[in-house]
Amino acid sequence: MEATHDVLVVGAGCAGMRAAIEAFDQGADVALLSKIHPVRSHSGAAEGGINAALGNASEDDPEKHAYDTVKGADYLGDQDAIQALCDEAPEDVYQLERWGAVFSRTEDGRIAQRPFGAAGEPRTAYAADITGHVLVHVLYEQVMKRDIPTYEEYFAWKLVIDDDRCQGVIAWDLLNGGLKTIGAKTVILATGGAGRLYVGTTNAYACTGDAMSMALRVGVPLKDMEMMQFHPTTLAPTGILITEGCRGEGAYLLNSDGDRFLERYAPNAMELASRDVISRAEQTEIDEGRGIDGNVLLDLRHLGAEKIHERLHGTRELSMTYAAVDPIHEPIPVRPGAHYHMGGVDTDLDGLTSITGLYAAGECACVSVHGANRLGGNALMETITFGRRAGRAAAEWALTHTTVSVPPSIEADSMRELGTLLDRRDGERPWAIRDELALTMHQNFGVFRREEQMTEQGRIVARLRERYERVVVDDKGDIFNNDLTQALELGFLLDLAECMIVAGLARKESRGAHARPHDYPDRNDDEFMRHTITTLDEGGRVTLDWKPVTVTKWQPQERNY
Amino acid sequence: MTEAAVHIEPATMLVRLKIWRFNAQTGEKELRDYEIDAPEWACLLDVLDLIKDKVDGTLAYRKSCRMMICGSCGMRMDGKAVLACKERMKPIVDSGHVPVISAMGNLPIVKDLVVDMGPFWNKIKAVKPWLDPGYDEVAERERVVSQQQMNVIHKEALCIMCGCCVSECNSMESDPDFLGPAALAKGMRFVGDARDHDDIGRLNSYNEEHGIWDCTRCYFCNERCPKGVDPRDAIAKLGAESIKQGIDHDMGAKHANWFVTSAKTTGWLRETELVPKTQGVVSAIKQTKFALKLFRHGKVPLPFPPHVAEEVQESRALFDLVKQQGRDGALGIVQGERGLARIDQDAPEGSSGGWGSRDQADITPGKRPTRGKGGEA
Repeated sequence: MEATHDVLVVGAGCAGMRAAIEAFDQGADVALLSKIHPVRSHSGAAEGGINAALGNASEDDPEKHAYDTVKGADYLGDQDAIQALCDEAPEDVYQLERWGAVFSRTEDGRIAQRPFGAAGEPRTAYAADITGHVLVHVLYEQVMKRDIPTYEEYFAWKLVIDDDRCQGVIAWDLLNGGLKTIGAKTVILATGGAGRLYVGTTNAYACTGDAMSMALRVGVPLKDMEMMQFHPTTLAPTGILITEGCRGEGAYLLNSDGDRFLERYAPNAMELASRDVISRAEQTEIDEGRGIDGNVLLDLRHLGAEKIHERLHGTRELSMTYAAVDPIHEPIPVRPGAHYHMGGVDTDLDGLTSITGLYAAGECACVSVHGANRLGGNALMETITFGRRAGRAAAEWALTHTTVSVPPSIEADSMRELGTLLDRRDGERPWAIRDELALTMHQNFGVFRREEQMTEQGRIVARLRERYERVVVDDKGDIFNNDLTQALELGFLLDLAECMIVAGLARKESRGAHARPHDYPDRNDDEFMRHTITTLDEGGRVTLDWKPVTVTKWQPQERNY
Repeated sequence: MTEAAVHIEPATMLVRLKIWRFNAQTGEKELRDYEIDAPEWACLLDVLDLIKDKVDGTLAYRKSCRMMICGSCGMRMDGKAVLACKERMKPIVDSGHVPVISAMGNLPIVKDLVVDMGPFWNKIKAVKPWLDPGYDEVAERERVVSQQQMNVIHKEALCIMCGCCVSECNSMESDPDFLGPAALAKGMRFVGDARDHDDIGRLNSYNEEHGIWDCTRCYFCNERCPKGVDPRDAIAKLGAESIKQGIDHDMGAKHANWFVTSAKTTGWLRETELVPKTQGVVSAIKQTKFALKLFRHGKVPLPFPPHVAEEVQESRALFDLVKQQGRDGALGIVQGERGLARIDQDAPEGSSGGWGSRDQADITPGKRPTRGKGGEA
């Protein structure tokens, strides 16, 4: 064992850093561990903002925020968790501001808030269109202030479970090579999403669902894994994100006829309907021949150069660099792209999983506040509020328990398993499997889902897994061997694809991001207003179970925008 | 979703590259040639990915967001620091040029294109990189600050810590202990923040040896910054703010002060007085021999009688204008030294625009970018 800590946070984006700061402030010996430097985390790519009922731009209160979130989630969110998020969000945002977050400001000098999709009030606090960047940096400043030790470029691979407790992590040290074991009384998982399952995704290369798979492999249930959100405005061909803030500022979506086609799908909210609704509308337009080379158009021109410069500067930079389009003069071609996993590691309101000492927060967790469809601006808020809650709970537990033990056999087994992979000389390298997985997931488990396509995707994933068992790593060296870690990441992704397909086939209805217009076009609250739960059985097969949704005061209603 | 919707076979191009490979375990260094088919929309990072997948899995480089925000993929192309995810390859391929890719400068190489960022982060940590509000009690809500006040640090807040500026820093090449452009820009992010209460402490610390006055003003950091942070401007702001606060013990500050005094009084730079005013009388006497040599070659004028410019009232008026507009500190440099020509003399105080309304990265407003067919696919 290299070292031991009270609390070890795996992943150092917004959720991980917020958790570490809270655990530190509770008096715990806390460390961060991440496969990339904290400021490289994909939280930094969040653009549009963070939702809290501050009431700076209108009369607003947490109750309205909660209702919008419950409805946006298509009634699959747990209402106690949503209430906690919305009640605690304002104080959490004030805290970020007091730490120095560079928020944009209203005329009277308060934190500025803009309208966002499916939100009844202008509730999204923002820093131009680089809100995530600003938050990642302010959190890292606070990590530096506290001098919280950070295992930078350590690739977490396995959780150490002993005595029915999580007692640490086994990680590959990228800079120096070698497996390292970090012991901890509590471990908080915060590695983010798994967008790399799809060929067109807004997610970074680092978003490979590491913690979800690590938890699954030690018997922790994953919840609502079929719920992958497609963001309506991503750039072809790679899926780079164009913020919802564009529509919040008033941009239009147009089809090839130049029509604002949302009139036919969401006549009231138009471009500010929820993301699932808009992505389906776009895909329908494209599939029915009213797209342009597989895209629709996001038109910002009427906003004027000044507003674009001031509030959407990053968006302009992205579309000029990656689509060769200046949004001041031309509309941006956009299409739906995989963006956010509503599903993840099943946790309670303190981030605790089914295993003592193991917590999760942020996108890799499923509390669940997003249900079947997340509202824009709620993800950053979830990282902060539930990162803080998990950090506090983990620290409290760690400070009242003493021992950490990692049986040598666990380390030896990991060493042997990795040795087998590194020693293999003949076979296929992982990239073709990775590319085929990402392409077929997009085709067969995308915006719209069909029974036969999902079944076929199950067979494809099984075949890819067989090939994966025989992959070869080119790089045999110790120093910065990310050829090895990329192969391990593919193993994580394959696990998650399997869970998503099993859950997707079981949910025989259309709800939020899970749209089955051809066989089950309607929401079916009687049978399916409940969470899917996927776990691994003894034989390593994915099994399915259900868990009730917590309803407090909002009964399901028809959902229109 | 139909296959066509997600996967259009893009037009491809043949990309040729040379990459400096480095093996830290053996110490071997080698410039290797690579050739690979890539889609026309590919950036340098996409090409490296294709090489790693299809040619050589041992090639090492960092990457993550591939959208210019995480700061992982700083490296050099033809000796200049770039973000690999920002560099479109099509124009380079079309020109027939074969670029050389290497690791960033001024940082130790770990392997191939991966550098040890440890020294970089140590310097960031040395500038006390967190807000010091000057009190512990919690305000009821957020602090009230105007957008205009926040605009002062908007460029510094764009920094993604990629290290491209540090890679190209000439001062750091000769003095590895120089705090450097990224750390000093981070320092300005707090000095310029109306909510921070330790600007004097910070300025004193940045005025130490290896601090702001060790910058040679080569402007390479401004030129290579992929985000438009303009670190040299941040250093200039720290200098101006130091002098405004009376922190002028460093020779660099004295040098700058004398430029102002000299220009204000005579409209000219009086070189003969520059050395004693900057370095002190003793040091100046020691350099008498050198000064006489310069004089003999006509490089410095006689100090007496002082030569006063004909239109000296213009330089005095400029001095008064700067004072009157309160632009004698960091505010005077907000638009960048490059942008001096654009200062509107009639503008009311602090009337500058919001985020992103000033100098933008290296994208000039209105200028169309290079169009790659693949980008529309």
